[in-house]
Amino acid sequence: MKIIVFIRQIVNPQVKLQGVDYFDTSRISEDDLIINPFDKNALEGALKLKDSESAEVTAICVGGIKPSKAVREAIAMGCNDAVEVVDDNYYLEDPMILAKIYSKIVEKIGDVDLIFTGCEEQSSSSYAVPAMLAELLDIPSVLYAEEIEKTVDRFRISHVLEGGRKIVEMPMRGLISCTDSQYFVPRYTSMRGILTSKRAQIPQWSNEDLKLDEATVCENAASLTVSSFSNIVIEKDSYILKEEEPDEMVDKLLAKLKEDNIKLGV
Amino acid sequence: MKILVFAQIRDDKIEENTLGILNKVNEVFKDSEISASLFGSNIKEEWIKQLGVHGAKKVYTIDVPELEYYLSRPNVKALSKVIDEIQPTIIIAAGTVYGEDLLPRVAIRRGVSCAQRITDITKEGEEILFYTPVRDDQAMKVQKITGDIKFVTTRTGAFFVNENPTGEEPEVISVDITFEEKDLLVKHVEIKKAEVTVNLKDAKVIVAGGRGVGGKDQFAILKELASILGGQIGATRACTDMNWVEETYEIGQTGQSVSPDVYIAAGISGAPQHISGIKAKTLIAINTDEGAAIFNYADYGIIGDLHIILPLLKQKISD
Ligand SMILES: Cc1cc2nc3c(=O)[nH]c(=O)nc-3n(C[C@H](O)[C@H](O)[C@H](O)COP(=O)(O)OP(=O)(O)OC[C@H]3O[C@@H](n4cnc5c(N)ncnc54)[C@H](O)[C@@H]3O)c2cc1C
Ligand SMILES: Nc1ncnc2c1ncn2[C@@H]1O[C@H](COP(=O)(O)O)[C@@H](O)[C@H]1O
Repeated sequence: MKIIVFIRQIVNPQVKLQGVDYFDTSRISEDDLIINPFDKNALEGALKLKDSESAEVTAICVGGIKPSKAVREAIAMGCNDAVEVVDDNYYLEDPMILAKIYSKIVEKIGDVDLIFTGCEEQSSSSYAVPAMLAELLDIPSVLYAEEIEKTVDRFRISHVLEGGRKIVEMPMRGLISCTDSQYFVPRYTSMRGILTSKRAQIPQWSNEDLKLDEATVCENAASLTVSSFSNIVIEKDSYILKEEEPDEMVDKLLAKLKEDNIKLGV
Repeated sequence: MKILVFAQIRDDKIEENTLGILNKVNEVFKDSEISASLFGSNIKEEWIKQLGVHGAKKVYTIDVPELEYYLSRPNVKALSKVIDEIQPTIIIAAGTVYGEDLLPRVAIRRGVSCAQRITDITKEGEEILFYTPVRDDQAMKVQKITGDIKFVTTRTGAFFVNENPTGEEPEVISVDITFEEKDLLVKHVEIKKAEVTVNLKDAKVIVAGGRGVGGKDQFAILKELASILGGQIGATRACTDMNWVEETYEIGQTGQSVSPDVYIAAGISGAPQHISGIKAKTLIAINTDEGAAIFNYADYGIIGDLHIILPLLKQKISD
C-alpha cells in the first residue's frame, strides 16, 4: 500500500503577527515554523497504516519558508521518505492551483493508493484543497475523518458532522482528510527516527521535474486572488493571574469579579 | 445577476445558516434573481415554503432516494445539473461540513476556485469582495474571484436570519437525475447523534471542559460547579470524541451556539472551531498553558491546573 501525505509548513499561530506586515516573514525564526497541526494528524493516520499494513508513506511539502525542517520531522515521525517541492513561479494562494500541483505530484509518484491531508491549514487556509484534489484525481474521498477502521476490503470512516458523527465506507484507494480527534493524535518523534531523518536524502522538485504548463499554475492563472490581508486586533484588557498560590489566585479572581460587578451565579 | 443558494436540512428543518444567507444576499445583491436548490428524499412542502418566505424566488428540487443522506459525488452531480440549468453568477452555501465539502468540488469541475468560510461579502460597483478570517481569527483575508461564476461558502453563524421575512411562495422546478455505480462508491453507513438533547442556548452560566479535564469521571467537578452556579456544563469536541460527555454538550462550529453571561472554559485550548460557538459577556479561562489561544478571548483567567482551581472555586463560592 502506497500512501502520500501532503503537509504544509506554517508559522505557528501562537506567534502574534499583529502590527507586522503580514507578508513580512523576516521576523520569523526557525522555531516558529511548524508542520500545520492537522497535517501532523494526517501523518499519524498514514503511519498507523504503515504499522498495521506495512504501508509505505511519503510526505510531500510544497512551498514553505524552510520546508526541509517539516519534511525531516515527518521522516522522524516514521515516514519512509519525503519530497520538497519548491518553485517560485507557483502561486500557492489559490486552492485550485495547489490541487493542480498536487495531482501532478501524485501522478509523478505513480501507483498511489491513498492520499492523506489535514482537514484544513491553520495559516491562510483556503479550506478547499482536499476536496478539489479528490475531484481532479477523480477518486473517492472522505473529508473531516475522525476514525478509520479497516474492514476486509474497504475503510469504514467516521467523520465530523454537526451534532454528532457520520459513518461511511470508502474503497481502499482514495483520499482522506484528517481532524485532530483522539484517533489521530500524532506520535512523538523517536531518537531513531531523528537519526534516520538526519541522514535522509530529500529530493527537491521544481517545475523542471513536474513539467506543469507554467501558465496554468502562476498567479495569472488564479481564479481566487488575495486583494488584502489585515490584522484583526483582539486587544483585550484581560485580567490573567499566574505564578501564585492557587488559593490566592482564586481569591483574587473572585474579588476582581466582585469589583467589576460580574455575578458568577444566577 | 443570478444567485443560487445551496439549501441544507438539519434536524428535519431548513438549516439556519441557509436562511441567514438568503437574507444576506437579498440585502447585498438587491436586483438579483435568487434561487435555492433543495436535494433529498421526501422533500417537505414546508421547507420549500420557508425558502420562499426568506427570499428565494425559485426552488430547484431533486427528490430521489440516493440523496437521502449527503454523499459528495451524488451531490456534485445534482448541484452541477442545477447550475447548468440556471447559469448563476454566484453559488453560495453555508459552510457546514457538507457545504465545505461540496462547493470546492463543483467549482474545480468548472475550472474555478472557491472562497470558503467567508464572514462578509461586499459589492462596490462591479467588484465583489469576499472576507475570510484566517490564522485563528488574527487576520482578515479579502479575496476576489475572477471569472463569471463564483463559488462561496460562509462561516456558520456569520449571517443573521431575518425575523420578519416577507417573501412569497416560490416557483418550484423539479429536476431529474440518474446516478451510475461510480457516483456511489462511497456509501452511507449511519449517523450517530446524541440520544439526549440539552438546550444550552438559554443557559446564563456555562462551565465548559476540554481535553485538559482528563476523563469522564473528572467531569464531576464541572457538573458540581455548574449546579451551584445555576448553570449548565459544556464541552469541546475533544471530550465528546472520547465519550467523556454526551454529544449534546458540544459547543462550537459543529455543536451548539451559546450566549451566556459567564462562560468558564477549563482545560480548553481555544480552537477556532470551538470559539466560533461562543458569544459570552464574560469569559473566564483556566489553563496550564499560558500560550493557549483561549487567553486571547478571555476577560479573566488563571494559568493553573483546573483540577486544583475548580475545587477551590467551588469551595469558596459555596462558603
Ligand atoms: C470540522 C471541524 C469541526 C469542529 N467543531 C468543533 C466544535 O463544534 N466544537 C469544538 O469544541 N471543537 C470542534 N472541533 C475540534 C477542534 O478542532 C479542537 O479539536 C477542539 O476544540 C479542541 O478541544 P480542547 O480545547 O478540549 O482540546 P486541546 O486542544 O487538546 O486543549 C486542551 C487544553 O487543556 C489544557 N490543559 C491540559 N491539562 C490541563 C489541566 N490540568 N488544567 C488546565 N488546563 C489543562 C492544555 O494546555 C490545552 O490548552 C472541530 C474540528 C473540525 C475539524
Ligand atoms: N503547500 C502545501 N504543501 C503540502 N500540503 C498542503 C499545502 N497546502 C495545503 N496542503 C494540504 O491541504 C490541506 C488543506 O489545506 P487548505 O485547504 O488550504 O485548508 C492541508 O492540511 C495540507 O494537508
